[in-house]
Amino acid sequence: MGELTIVNIQTASFIGSISLVLIGLVAVLFIDNLIKKVLGLMFLTDGVNLFLVALGYRVNVPGGAVIPIFTEGFFKAHNASMATAIGDFSARAGFCLPYALVLTNIVIGAATMSVVLGLIIRLYQRHGTLSSSEILTERMEND
Amino acid sequence: MTVPVSDLPIYALIFASVAIAILSLLPRDLYKAVIVGGGIEGLSLTVLFMRLLAPDVALTQAILASALIPALIFITVYKTSRWES
Repeated sequence: MGELTIVNIQTASFIGSISLVLIGLVAVLFIDNLIKKVLGLMFLTDGVNLFLVALGYRVNVPGGAVIPIFTEGFFKAHNASMATAIGDFSARAGFCLPYALVLTNIVIGAATMSVVLGLIIRLYQRHGTLSSSEILTERMEND
Repeated sequence: MTVPVSDLPIYALIFASVAIAILSLLPRDLYKAVIVGGGIEGLSLTVLFMRLLAPDVALTQAILASALIPALIFITVYKTSRWES
């Protein structure tokens, strides 16, 4: 098999997250339908989450990166020497502070989404349409 | 640099999640848009988080972002109009 020169997983995740954020911004700003604006908001949140998770990934470590959970098998692999086991683990485990941030962000995103959807249902009951430009012109005429 | 073969599905998943995000904004039927953009995109990101060393984030993403939020948007589309004018 020949040489395949592409970027590593972390850089590819950064590129993917930036494109998700751009798609979400374009959808929020330029699409007329309110449900599709909500989908764009979801892509924006997903892009930021993917960026934060990719920050904690380890590339180019000997033996490969591992999930940041210290298990018994890791201890036994180093002949029950705690010092070398912890040193090897801390060199290979992913950085897990961004994961806690992302966990909170997902839950807050779900709560925000439910409030936004409730407001959309009220707007539809008052104006009878989901198109944001029609709702805006109708409100301009009333004022 | 050379890339091991076991990493190739991850590149496919990153590309697929971006492509699915673009595809979900196209159809006029809002149910189709929610299934593609909410459910399938959330599932691909779940597998991606699992592979990027964050299984706790993957669990939360699997429950909330690919099941609960699409269900909420489904209820909203059911209570309003299905077709984009």
